[in-house]
Amino acid sequence: MPLISFGSILSFAEALEKQDEAFYAAAAANPAFAELKDLFDQFLKDTRKNIKNVQRTRRENVTEMILEPIKDFTRAPFCEEIDPAKAKTSAEILDAARCLEKKTERYYTEASVKIKALSEVSRALKMIGKKHTAHLKKLDTL
Amino acid sequence: MSLPMMKNYINGDWVDSNTATFGDVWNPAKGEKIAQVPYGTKEDVDAAVKAAKEAYWEWRTTPPLSRARYLFRLKDAFEENFEEIAEVLTTEQGKAIDESRGEVRRMIENVEHATGVTTLMCGYTLEDIAKDIDCYGHRQPMGVFAAIVPYNFPAMVAWWFLPYALVSGNTYIVKPSEQVPMTQTKIFEIMEEIGLPEGVVNMVHGAHDVVNGLLDHPDIEGISFVGASPTAKYIYQQCCATGKRVQALGGAKNIVAIMPDADIEQGMPSLTTSFFGCAGQRCLSGSVLVPVGDVADELVEKFVAASKDIKVGNGLDEQTFMGPVISAAHKQRVLDYIEKGVQEGAKLVLDGRDFKVEGYPEGFFVGPTIFDNVTPDMTIASEEIFGPVVSIVRAKNLDEVISLVNTRNYANASCIYTSSGATAREFKYRVKPSMVGINIGIAAPMSFFPFGGAGNSMFGDTKGHGQEIFNFFTDTKVVIERWF
Repeated sequence: MPLISFGSILSFAEALEKQDEAFYAAAAANPAFAELKDLFDQFLKDTRKNIKNVQRTRRENVTEMILEPIKDFTRAPFCEEIDPAKAKTSAEILDAARCLEKKTERYYTEASVKIKALSEVSRALKMIGKKHTAHLKKLDTL
Repeated sequence: MSLPMMKNYINGDWVDSNTATFGDVWNPAKGEKIAQVPYGTKEDVDAAVKAAKEAYWEWRTTPPLSRARYLFRLKDAFEENFEEIAEVLTTEQGKAIDESRGEVRRMIENVEHATGVTTLMCGYTLEDIAKDIDCYGHRQPMGVFAAIVPYNFPAMVAWWFLPYALVSGNTYIVKPSEQVPMTQTKIFEIMEEIGLPEGVVNMVHGAHDVVNGLLDHPDIEGISFVGASPTAKYIYQQCCATGKRVQALGGAKNIVAIMPDADIEQGMPSLTTSFFGCAGQRCLSGSVLVPVGDVADELVEKFVAASKDIKVGNGLDEQTFMGPVISAAHKQRVLDYIEKGVQEGAKLVLDGRDFKVEGYPEGFFVGPTIFDNVTPDMTIASEEIFGPVVSIVRAKNLDEVISLVNTRNYANASCIYTSSGATAREFKYRVKPSMVGINIGIAAPMSFFPFGGAGNSMFGDTKGHGQEIFNFFTDTKVVIERWF
């Protein structure tokens, strides 16, 4: 499905963050990954902040006079499902988390370019993208 | 299944109108009835004015900062209910959900701006205007004001006025458009949460009888109106006759000029937004596109191609860029204008008649429509269509553009796309419309600047919002003082 409007870009960002939220909630609750619980709890917290930031951006940074159509951007490359239930070991859940973070980070990077006509939105998306970059860095240290 | 019935909000209560006449509210994307609205009566107006008048003195003596605190609370309440307001708006008006979000945002921005009352409402003083005599100019509220607002921006337009009236100490009555009463009803439901004293804000639904009831009422100090120009003129005349303050904003025929040095690639998204955003039903929509000189063929080709790509559909679908027009009757009016353009010899290069949207066979859709080779004397280049119809009038030079702008029957907004500062300056200096866009297709002043046109696009002298709105809602009392 194409992402051709301000709202669709922000709403899809919210959907991705909610996927992340569900992933980290499940991972944090799984006793098999008890040694990673603090990490996943922290990521869960960050994700919930991101959701609030995305919602606030959709609410506050909509500029009615420059709601311009967006071209050549679709959901498809960001729709890969990553199921925490498939991971059986800590290494597998960390790999899954990396995939998840890479996908979300890539979305924010591309979306922030597509929506550059709304510069505050672009900046907000870049900022949230950086949070996912930080998660990736953290995951890479483990 | 019975449809929800809108109620009036008077003196802090939701009350039924005493009318026997009702109208239907439609979902224009589906072409189905979703609610009913009472066509209120003079008695409904009397009840609202009585409540507002009784609430006035206590509200007027409430310190401005305390009044502003209600608005701070209101802003928070609006933010919390932001998406819900936008969804109701799109459901009854049809515009794309992002457009509704943008509109709700602008509504909230007016609330935010009005909270600056403690500086914006200040008067002025001068000592020693004569020996031992000082002079003060105090801005004082005046009493009961009212707004009569249109269907195209069901949330925002009432709020170009209401927060400023309230925060400066007046009490208020809103008459929403009878075509879109649900959005303002939702807003008033939210407003109930902030605990405003009874009677400070009131809402009366209806049509002509409510309008005339407000215009004729001796206890109303002033009227703010936005709508079509003939009605704006009528409102202005009636208010003058009954001694009221009035600001009556009317229609438009906005021209968007493209100079040969314009960056067409950069500008194209904002051009399509200008002409087709809100399905052309905004007073700032582009209506006449004027390519200048040898840019014409390239521009027309690219503009038509971009317009064909516009996704038309139900505004609640995030993929939709352009929704339906407001009603079956308005759709027919737009189609009649298209027919008129064909009859008068314009070249129809994109035909939005018989436009079908999958899944919405009964919706009031008109597709993007473009006429080329339009001449300035044609009906479609002169009259306000208020739909997704573009008239392309080719011009040789800037003088022709300015002449075209200044000979329309309206003077609301005009825009120019150019990379030349000198050309832009010449344009903004000489055109009559009061809202000018330079490389912007929708020249919409934000809450802290005045909104309104000139000529037949505006009757009255004080525009919507901006700093000067406080002039409309206050009387400057001059006190000249000497002590012995």
